[in-house]
Amino acid sequence: MSRHEHRSANIADANGNVAVAIDHISKTYPVPFLRLKKLLRRKFKPPVEALRDVTFNVHNGEIFGLIGPNGAGKTTLTKIIATLIQPTAGQVTVNGCDTVLDDEQVRRRVGLAGAEERSFYWRLTAEQNLLFFARLYGLSGAQAKRRIKELFELFEVEELERRRFAELSTGNKQRLAVARAMLANPPVLLLDEPTRSLDPIAAARMRATIKSLARNDADRVTVFLTSHNLAEVEELCDRVAIIGRGRIRALDTPQNLRTTHTTTEQVSITLTSVAAVDAEHALRQAFSDRFFTLGRTTRDQEWAVEFSREAGDETLDSVLRVLQQSGAMIRSVETKRATLLAVLESYDEGDESPRAKS
Amino acid sequence: MKRAVLFLRRIWAFIARDWRLTVSYRMQFFMRVLSVLIVVTTLFFISKIFTGFTDPRFAEWRDPLAAWLTGLAVLNYFMTGFSSLANAVRQEQVQGTLESVLMTPISVPTVIVASSAWDFVQATFFSFLYLLFGWLFFDVHYRGSFLLALVFLLLTTTVLSCLGILSASFAMVFKRGDPFGIFLGAGSALFSGVFFPTQLITQYAGAGLASVSRILPPTYGLDGIRRVLIEGQEFSQVRQPFITLLIFLAVLLPFSLWVFNRAVRRAKREGSLIQY
Repeated sequence: MSRHEHRSANIADANGNVAVAIDHISKTYPVPFLRLKKLLRRKFKPPVEALRDVTFNVHNGEIFGLIGPNGAGKTTLTKIIATLIQPTAGQVTVNGCDTVLDDEQVRRRVGLAGAEERSFYWRLTAEQNLLFFARLYGLSGAQAKRRIKELFELFEVEELERRRFAELSTGNKQRLAVARAMLANPPVLLLDEPTRSLDPIAAARMRATIKSLARNDADRVTVFLTSHNLAEVEELCDRVAIIGRGRIRALDTPQNLRTTHTTTEQVSITLTSVAAVDAEHALRQAFSDRFFTLGRTTRDQEWAVEFSREAGDETLDSVLRVLQQSGAMIRSVETKRATLLAVLESYDEGDESPRAKS
Repeated sequence: MKRAVLFLRRIWAFIARDWRLTVSYRMQFFMRVLSVLIVVTTLFFISKIFTGFTDPRFAEWRDPLAAWLTGLAVLNYFMTGFSSLANAVRQEQVQGTLESVLMTPISVPTVIVASSAWDFVQATFFSFLYLLFGWLFFDVHYRGSFLLALVFLLLTTTVLSCLGILSASFAMVFKRGDPFGIFLGAGSALFSGVFFPTQLITQYAGAGLASVSRILPPTYGLDGIRRVLIEGQEFSQVRQPFITLLIFLAVLLPFSLWVFNRAVRRAKREGSLIQY
């Protein structure tokens, strides 16, 4: 498929199930006044390539995560979707509207909650800030007040209504940023580290809110989320893209990313009612080619057997049978797959594929 | 109709926001009112030096206090037209709020008008204060058509707003060191006849330097307003400065909007919208 055909297909798709279509996006930050600097023979730094040929779609009602190290291009991509930065090449559409040609229409469909605290008026109260932005979104005074009340209730910050923004805690400023992004009920939410400064309980509530927004059948919201909290990304996101040096390195469900990264998993079995020597002997006899480690747990008379296996193979079943036949009572079985952090770490800078696959 | 309502709603949002920010610094507001009163009082005493001044060349300056107060009131308005947008852009950049404002579905012309709206409300109030204090405490009287003076005021302010848009474009791209500000800020006070008749420049500094006053729109605005308010001239008598201002407007308005759009596009391309 040619690039042009691919683009047309993406745009056509955007009218259907695709909320955000990112099509061969590249972004190179130009050197300011390059010609003048060349003319005056002044030294200049080379242009910064922030994104290179990025293509993927975000589906309606999906929670999509974008992860990557600092400087990977996450913020640039988010700002391109939000129309705040123009790409050097390629096209982004939000619900079929081009972010460069129909930027005003895109901004009606997108709410951005950035990590920048300074994006509010510090001498105004929380309510006055939201009221100002609600009016810019075109809400009447009554509509704005109603919506702000709903959002304060949703984020459980009703008591902050009349407090100056400057007096709010970092966590509450963060909640207010998300509330502002939701003022006009946009179908697409761009969230840049939405729980960064929240305490664990508030963070859990925020995650629940994000989930409920995307799962609400009556009014489904598409969420595009960037975060450094990988556990959060795993918990929330339907699909995750890993970005590094401006290129998409991998894109899949968190589960598949982990599976693609490594097909083995670590199994830990705790057992009682048998001497460690007997259990070890039974395992050696049954599996001469496999390596097991056996050690005490913190509890008295309890042992832990650990080994690795190919995910989904029959080893676990066989090991359990052997241990039970040797008289062991199984207390617990735990399997550990590679974490998203391990997957992220494996995408070495400059590599197309994971650095190590085991 | 719906677009008009939306436009007004957004203007109101900016005015309400800036009003709230202003009243959060109450002392500053009262100090400004007081400083206007002090300036008017000082000018009253200086004007007494010129009592009996009757040079027929400077008919507009027969009552120097009236001429100065008109000059200051109008200059205040003109400078607002010229500087408010650049200041608004710079302030939003420094505060870090420009991106969040531009993230809303608001068009560039609306941003231009709305972000200057409160400054114009304030300028109207303080300009009125100069005239009010003059009338109330120092017996300064104006004649002629206030409506025609208002037309001149609006026309000159719009022309200066175009230069203001160019200035804001400069702030958007170069961030600081705006040449329009230096040229118009200092230039208008010196060359536009705010404090003395422009004819004196020709007499003492030569025709070359005097030509500077001819390329400054405030010169024509001030001349027109003074001739209407102080001399009581009619439209047919002030047609020349009026037409000059219209020519300025016809050239500067499309040009400045084009430049501003390009500046926003450039800042978006460079990703420097919130840098300052």
